[in-house]
Amino acid sequence: MKSAKTKKRVSQLWLYLLKTIVAVIMFLPIIWIATGGFKTLTEFTTSSRIIPQNFTLENFTYIFRSSNIFLYVRNTVLLMLGTTIGTLFSSSLVAYPLARMEFKGKNLIFSIIIATMMIPNIALIIPQYIMFGKIGWLDSLLPMIIPAFFAYPYNVFLFRQYFRSIPKELDESATIDGCSRVQIFFKVLVPLSKPTYATIAVLSCVFWWNELTQPVFYINSDEWRTLTMALMTSYMYTSGNAFVINWPSIMAAATLMILPPMLLYFFGNRFLVGGIKTTGLKG
Amino acid sequence: MANRKRTKTSSSIRRKDTRTAYAFISPWIIGFVCFTLFPIIFMFRVSLTNRKLNGVSEFSGMQNYVNMFKSGIFWNSIWVTLFFTIVMVIVTTIWAVIMALLLNQKQKLNGIFQFCYFLPSVIPSVALAYAFRTIFGKEAGLFNAFLSIFAGKNVAVNWLYDHATVYMVVFFITLFTYNTGQMMLIFRSGLSDVPMELYEACELDGAGAAKKFFSVTLPMISPLVLFNAVNGCVSALNGSFALLYPLTGESGNPDGMTQVLSLLIYKEAFSNMKVGYSCALSVVLFLIAALFGALLFGLSQKLVYYEN
Repeated sequence: MKSAKTKKRVSQLWLYLLKTIVAVIMFLPIIWIATGGFKTLTEFTTSSRIIPQNFTLENFTYIFRSSNIFLYVRNTVLLMLGTTIGTLFSSSLVAYPLARMEFKGKNLIFSIIIATMMIPNIALIIPQYIMFGKIGWLDSLLPMIIPAFFAYPYNVFLFRQYFRSIPKELDESATIDGCSRVQIFFKVLVPLSKPTYATIAVLSCVFWWNELTQPVFYINSDEWRTLTMALMTSYMYTSGNAFVINWPSIMAAATLMILPPMLLYFFGNRFLVGGIKTTGLKG
Repeated sequence: MANRKRTKTSSSIRRKDTRTAYAFISPWIIGFVCFTLFPIIFMFRVSLTNRKLNGVSEFSGMQNYVNMFKSGIFWNSIWVTLFFTIVMVIVTTIWAVIMALLLNQKQKLNGIFQFCYFLPSVIPSVALAYAFRTIFGKEAGLFNAFLSIFAGKNVAVNWLYDHATVYMVVFFITLFTYNTGQMMLIFRSGLSDVPMELYEACELDGAGAAKKFFSVTLPMISPLVLFNAVNGCVSALNGSFALLYPLTGESGNPDGMTQVLSLLIYKEAFSNMKVGYSCALSVVLFLIAALFGALLFGLSQKLVYYEN
């Protein structure tokens, strides 16, 4: 009996060891980024110690004093707010009849929405680039914000799934009370779907906070650079003939960029983790 | 009489419903036509011209496609795209299953473990790419230093620029992407749905951990695995740019070994200014995505229930 107990304890210990190794592997890049921001450029490029030897705040003062970080934060926040508000509004409107009404062409429209979910953005980005260039939207946030107001298929799909899980009887009793379809949407479905809106808002914010591809294609000037772009382009300079990448400044900026998703994990776990799980299960 | 009246109202309600429905759907219709349908048609049209980045354009027929099929860079890129997509999906799926299995063993501190496993997937890919460029760097790289301890001598491999090691490192880095974290969460809930009785029955037969995994766990979660794998293909096609562009650059160092199609599209359009040619490449990427998409659609019809 006693040996069975010891055996169990040993296997528990092995499990802990295994879990810890995986945790170290997964978390190492984040530690590397966070400590790298406190190293000097010389130390970063000559020593591979994780703990900074000459602890310094110069990278953070450099970022805040000599780079346009506030501008990049402003652009990223504008991009996040614009796209998120746009998609919440438009995608939920579009999802409503798909979840609740019977009308001609419903199946066709739903099939097209599913099909467009499979088209990777990147395949259409060049024709879109030419198109946005013709209307003069390039080098601004408009090519990303405006389409958000015309419903993302993926979010339409998610809203539809959630709306369907709300009992239809509520609509029917509202109809008897004399509510129109429009009133049902705003007075019954929207108030009941607040967690859904929060989930999709969180996922959208995480996506646009991290998004690199579209800004790289559409934005050119420093004025509209997002944080992700700035991380790639703003912390390198030429000194004489040498091209210097200011690694510790990049790491310091990256540390600041990791903080919001991290805080979201702690304070909005239900929406972040819960949301990602459901999108994957159903999408 | 009453009956007739009801039919009349219900059909007029339905007609009114159709109108209301289309009013609600109109944002998507406008968006679909302007931002999806039109660009698709436009892409095919531009692919038949020699359009430059400055907008100068002339009809050139199939010339772009002829050049493309003759180009070694193009075929390399197709090969890299398929290789990258498929291997990435296999590697990340296996890793996600491992992490989910570990986390589903109920122990103390699981909250901290999940935090560590999951956080890398919601941070910007640029930040990850730059961290790994230095971790796997030649000088002062963490990984070289780590190996030096075991080798007893100074290891100086430039992991991301060495033909022999670049794929290993790139696929290792894909373990930290959004897709992996998402799959891990999905597998976690999939695993907790596996009935305990099956494990108990297996234990009675004296099966070990490995036997239990292959004869109970894997068959039970296989629909999820399959679905996520194909889903991962589509997101790998789309997400490879944001990871590889900051990691190995638009030319896909070393020697185009990591130049997936999206990087080539970017390079041809913005460095070589050949927008027409770039559109022809986009057409190919679009067709590859359509292929994966059709596969996913077929699977989802079979495996996932859209209707309650």
